[in-house]
Amino acid sequence: MRILIADDETVSLRLLEKTLKRAGYEVIAVSDGRKAAEELCRPDGARLALLDWVMPQLNGPAVCRAVRRIRSQRHVYLVLLTSKNSKEDIVEGLESGADDYLIKPFDPGELKARLHTGRRILELEDNLLEAREDMRYKATHDSLTSLLNRGTVLELLAAELPHKRRDNGSTAIVLGDLDHFKLVNDTYGHVIGDEVLREVARRLLGAVRSYDFVGRYGGEEFLLVLNNCCADKSMERAEEIRKAIGDTPVQTTQGSIEVTISLGIFDSLGSDTRTVEEVLCEVDSALYAAKSAGRNCCCMAADRRP
Amino acid sequence: MTNSDAAALEKYVNMPELLARVENDRELLEDLLMLFREDFPLLRDDLHAAVGAGNPAEVQKVAHTLKGMLANLSINRAAQLAADIEAAARAGETLGIQQAIAAFDREETGLLAAVNTFMVSGER
Repeated sequence: MRILIADDETVSLRLLEKTLKRAGYEVIAVSDGRKAAEELCRPDGARLALLDWVMPQLNGPAVCRAVRRIRSQRHVYLVLLTSKNSKEDIVEGLESGADDYLIKPFDPGELKARLHTGRRILELEDNLLEAREDMRYKATHDSLTSLLNRGTVLELLAAELPHKRRDNGSTAIVLGDLDHFKLVNDTYGHVIGDEVLREVARRLLGAVRSYDFVGRYGGEEFLLVLNNCCADKSMERAEEIRKAIGDTPVQTTQGSIEVTISLGIFDSLGSDTRTVEEVLCEVDSALYAAKSAGRNCCCMAADRRP
Repeated sequence: MTNSDAAALEKYVNMPELLARVENDRELLEDLLMLFREDFPLLRDDLHAAVGAGNPAEVQKVAHTLKGMLANLSINRAAQLAADIEAAARAGETLGIQQAIAAFDREETGLLAAVNTFMVSGER
């Protein structure tokens, strides 16, 4: 683990550097407070620090305050190591944002034990952040396909519509439904059906841009929000998506399966004030029209047709 | 180095405590004493300059740095004398500063000589 040590006194700096390297730390040594603050405030800066109190440019407590002012997602564990040893100094040091306070001269065993405590706290924080990120992902994504789940893609659509109105832009909303998918499940079983859904999801993501949204809307239904997609391009984009699914059979563990998709399209233009529910109603009708037209095709919503 | 060189140094340095701090790393110990030999006279001169300039804030700062350096090397009596200078400077006691500096100077003359002898005999 990387640790920053800041001390303008050379004997102390060398002693700390050697002690900590021997204990397995990767040491960054600086001799003034400004450099210490700069290093610690960098997003990839050291997360563990030993700071002297009296230093040029910025003293130890000022470094602590500077680090705490930066709203970083990850905690930086700060230890003041100083020969200032009055109760008032200790209180002032801790209130400046230090997590711990050690008095010089240090005992190597105690120093390492206190730093180990700091590492435990940082590891605990890392685990919590990882768990939170994991939960956030699970709450927003479909577990089978890893696409956005229904709730999330609808939330993103709801946020996009007023945004598009403000910018007088245009967004294409596309609802796709795999054709005769029940037959796949009935013929090959749900495990193979799941393989097909995962491959379809992969192809959908490959057919859109990084700033478009793709979500699993229902069993074999997918909702796509094509941001900043001009109205005269939306049919072309939907055709590309249809071909990405239907042009090449899906390879499964039980062989190759032909899969096609029908797509309904609705262009939400800048002046459009429809709600999410109304947009979904429009695009659903367009999808129904595509199904009625023989499937494996794209159909524009009724009031958007030329 | 001779036993008498080491004994002379131990009049000033708590050697068991220092060896524990450097985790019995003799190379590091010599490295630290080398740094001390280079930096201590500079700090001492800074201290005298600050006293001469009548600048108690600077006296306090330099004495604090000296205190930390000496304490790290377990040069405990001199570290205490540096702490006395720091305290007198913080309190703004001019006479106290003068007295503490005088005591410090008496101590550091023998200290530097002992460190130098120890290091030179080690180099031989």
